[in-house]
Amino acid sequence: MASASSSKVPAASPNTPPDSCDVLVYGTGLVESIVAAALAWQGTNVLHLDPNPFYGGLWASLNLEELKAWTDKINSPATNDTPFSNAYLYISRNLDPRKYAIDISPHVLFTRADLLNLLIQSRVSRYLEFKPLGSFHTFEQDSFEKVPGTKEDIFTSQNLTLLTKRSLMRFMKFVVIWDETPDVWLEYKGKPISLFLKEKFNLDEPQIVELVHSIALLSSPSSPTELALDRIKRYLSSMQVYGNFPAMYSMYGSGGEIAQGFCRSAAVAGAVYRLGTKLSSFDDESGVAVLDNGEKIKVTEKLITSYGLLPSSREITRMVAVVEKDCKEWFAEGESAAIVVFPPETLDGNKYAVQALVLGSGSGQVPLGQAVWYLSTQESGEQGRKDLFLALEKMEESILRESTEDFEFDVSEEDIAYLPNGMPVVSSVRLGESLRNFTPKESLKYLLKLTYTQKVTVPPPQPGSKTIYVPAPSIDIVYDGVVTRAQAIYEGVTGTTEDFFEVDFEDEDDDATATGNPPDTSIGDVADIDDEELGDHPDFDEEVAGEMTI
Amino acid sequence: MAVARDSTSSTRFAQFKLVLLGESAVGKSSLVLRFVKDQFDDYRESTIGAAFLTQTIALDESTTIKFEIWDTAGQERYKSLAPMYYRNANCAVVVYDITQAASLDKAKSWVKELQRQANENIIIALAGNKLDLDGKRQVETAAAEAYASESGLLFFETSAKSGENVTELFTAIAKRLPLETASSRQRTAPKGVDLSRPNRRAPAASNNGCTC
Ligand SMILES: Cc1cc2nc3c(=O)[nH]c(=O)nc-3n(C[C@H](O)[C@H](O)[C@H](O)COP(=O)(O)OP(=O)(O)OC[C@H]3O[C@@H](n4cnc5c(N)ncnc54)[C@H](O)[C@@H]3O)c2cc1C
Ligand SMILES: Nc1nc2c(ncn2[C@@H]2O[C@H](COP(=O)(O)OP(=O)(O)OP(=O)(O)O)[C@@H](O)[C@H]2O)c(=O)[nH]1
Ligand SMILES: [Mg+2]
Repeated sequence: MASASSSKVPAASPNTPPDSCDVLVYGTGLVESIVAAALAWQGTNVLHLDPNPFYGGLWASLNLEELKAWTDKINSPATNDTPFSNAYLYISRNLDPRKYAIDISPHVLFTRADLLNLLIQSRVSRYLEFKPLGSFHTFEQDSFEKVPGTKEDIFTSQNLTLLTKRSLMRFMKFVVIWDETPDVWLEYKGKPISLFLKEKFNLDEPQIVELVHSIALLSSPSSPTELALDRIKRYLSSMQVYGNFPAMYSMYGSGGEIAQGFCRSAAVAGAVYRLGTKLSSFDDESGVAVLDNGEKIKVTEKLITSYGLLPSSREITRMVAVVEKDCKEWFAEGESAAIVVFPPETLDGNKYAVQALVLGSGSGQVPLGQAVWYLSTQESGEQGRKDLFLALEKMEESILRESTEDFEFDVSEEDIAYLPNGMPVVSSVRLGESLRNFTPKESLKYLLKLTYTQKVTVPPPQPGSKTIYVPAPSIDIVYDGVVTRAQAIYEGVTGTTEDFFEVDFEDEDDDATATGNPPDTSIGDVADIDDEELGDHPDFDEEVAGEMTI
Repeated sequence: MAVARDSTSSTRFAQFKLVLLGESAVGKSSLVLRFVKDQFDDYRESTIGAAFLTQTIALDESTTIKFEIWDTAGQERYKSLAPMYYRNANCAVVVYDITQAASLDKAKSWVKELQRQANENIIIALAGNKLDLDGKRQVETAAAEAYASESGLLFFETSAKSGENVTELFTAIAKRLPLETASSRQRTAPKGVDLSRPNRRAPAASNNGCTC
């Protein structure tokens, strides 16, 4: 192993390529890039290559020229080193290709997440800009319902009965300390979350659907209880960490953009970068890597590669649409993003949820007046595409209805309810009904449409002793598991994770305000917040009851 | 870029992103080190460590400019600069070495790239570095100056070693930056989340929040 005391500077003179390295990292996807940076800062001599002319590998965000080339490549029968295939791409004429950044594996970041802590600790967050994502919708009975993700939402909701409110409040109190109270859920370990919510908390179907699919962002109602509880808790505890939103996204692209940040960090620590360079062969015995230009590189420790994975039979389906609409109707005030979830059985018998991430021009991914919709499902083949097209249709109908200004409808006195503070609100159930009767005159202009499939990949059954494989991004829209995987690979090289990004940045400037501290993710903290919040409502239950008398 | 007025006085602060470009070993990092820390290191190896420095300069009593300076960290060496590097850059210093004629050609190609791909209002300065090695000069001042003026670039010959013209270079850039319009050009898009400021606790739940 390269010791931490070895020089951080590659021995090679600046303009001649290095002919040896401790670790060769092949692929600039998110996981590999984190590993490259961690190793470089630890003192390992890292050479980082990518066969593509862009950063991000399977996580990349591409401009339209790159996207065209990428679809050609994954459709080519000669390409066997990518999990993507079956791309259908339509791009409308006269778009400026550089004004778009299309994510091939879109992700969002919860404000309580190990990746965010690592971004702050490693200072990579300083290269990036994150925007808030506070708007989560569930598609129910032909309309988009805003998810009540906080106690206030539940408390003021017009759609919930008193009984449901009580059950939900009881569940929310439990879920923030679920891991400390195994007696409540242990018998449901590995069993469907929907069963647990129904039997233990008496929750009704609509609430279960929202909790499982829109809050936990899980695809199937039979997801294991402990996983779902963890993700529901994460959603709730992510609220108010930075403001009135539980999640964020990075501008100009998700994982590929964050990967670029880690690559820059690795370069700062001395890693050498070469894009557009293919690895022709690697001899696991001797550690000799041969590049496509014939150069030989002696790898003394490990090859870490995101290429050479084998496709499994499982497949997921993705779709991207760029529309000529800003879609601000779906965004919270001051935001430029939303998540829309179509739970199972809401799209003509879809088995899995369809998730849609909507980003407006504030994301830097599309020009002003446009939005990009990223849809995905765990369904495969024709069915997968059918589910996505149906969801797209629903989204189209919805945005046309909601964005039509001259739309009027009658509100009668019984449609109006009053909040405890006297503020009148229109019942959203009633609103949804009226909206359904509205036929849009306008049509939606699609500037880009792309569908493609992604095979779930596995490492080869017998990897070489010097070779470590990096898994492809999962369909999960959250970054869960990325840091853990990077740490495991790091441990595979150095034998420990103790010094993973244990960096003393004394070399860097001391502009401490730009750094910040990772948000404390301790359970105690969450519980405290919860108690204090409740403390502000000593008579919370009475208030709930009071509201129901309206 | 961000512009803010101090509420207590009429001081104006503006922050700009500045990127450095140029062939390896022309002295990009040395120029930054001179500007930010007023130091020079004869045995400086290729860029490591600090690649994100800030320096503040006072243009006059009422105007302070903060440069957020991005060094390439060597990623340009094999044409592997990340798009992130150029993104939203307000100004660029393209450096060549006056003792290496080829480094000016390289500088010209960077200028071309910038003019083609970067923010159209980007301010570009051309810096002929290692002025202290005048005896070994290969690039004539007049030739470089002519190129700079026809391409609309600021031009300086500098020495990171002696410090000559280094502050002048950055001050000239600062003076060109569009301070007046900076605030009005702020995007209407929502602002990024300040990750250094997590709320230590949830704010008191408000009862008057409208959920309509
Ligand atoms: C030498 C050089 C190489 C470059 N290489 C790349 C590259 O490989 N890939 C790349 O994507 N960009 C690349 N760029 C482009 C650069 O990142 C942005 O396009 C530039 O910052 C445009 O800023 P603007 O505010 O003038 O553009 P505007 O037209 O005002 O752009 C509006 C917003 O969208 C962002 N934006 C514009 N184009 C893109 C884009 N293509 N992708 C993501 N966001 C964008 C801008 O940063 C800006 O915030 C390169 C630029 C240069 C100078
Ligand atoms: N004489 C003299 N030497 C200089 C000057 N500026 C830089 N150098 C030397 O030139 C060499 C390269 O300087 P760097 O600042 O590392 O160059 P760079 O452009 O950042 O190089 P990379 O990081 O490899 O891209 C070092 O040995 C410096 O000491 C100068 O003004 N005069
Ligand atoms: Mg340097």
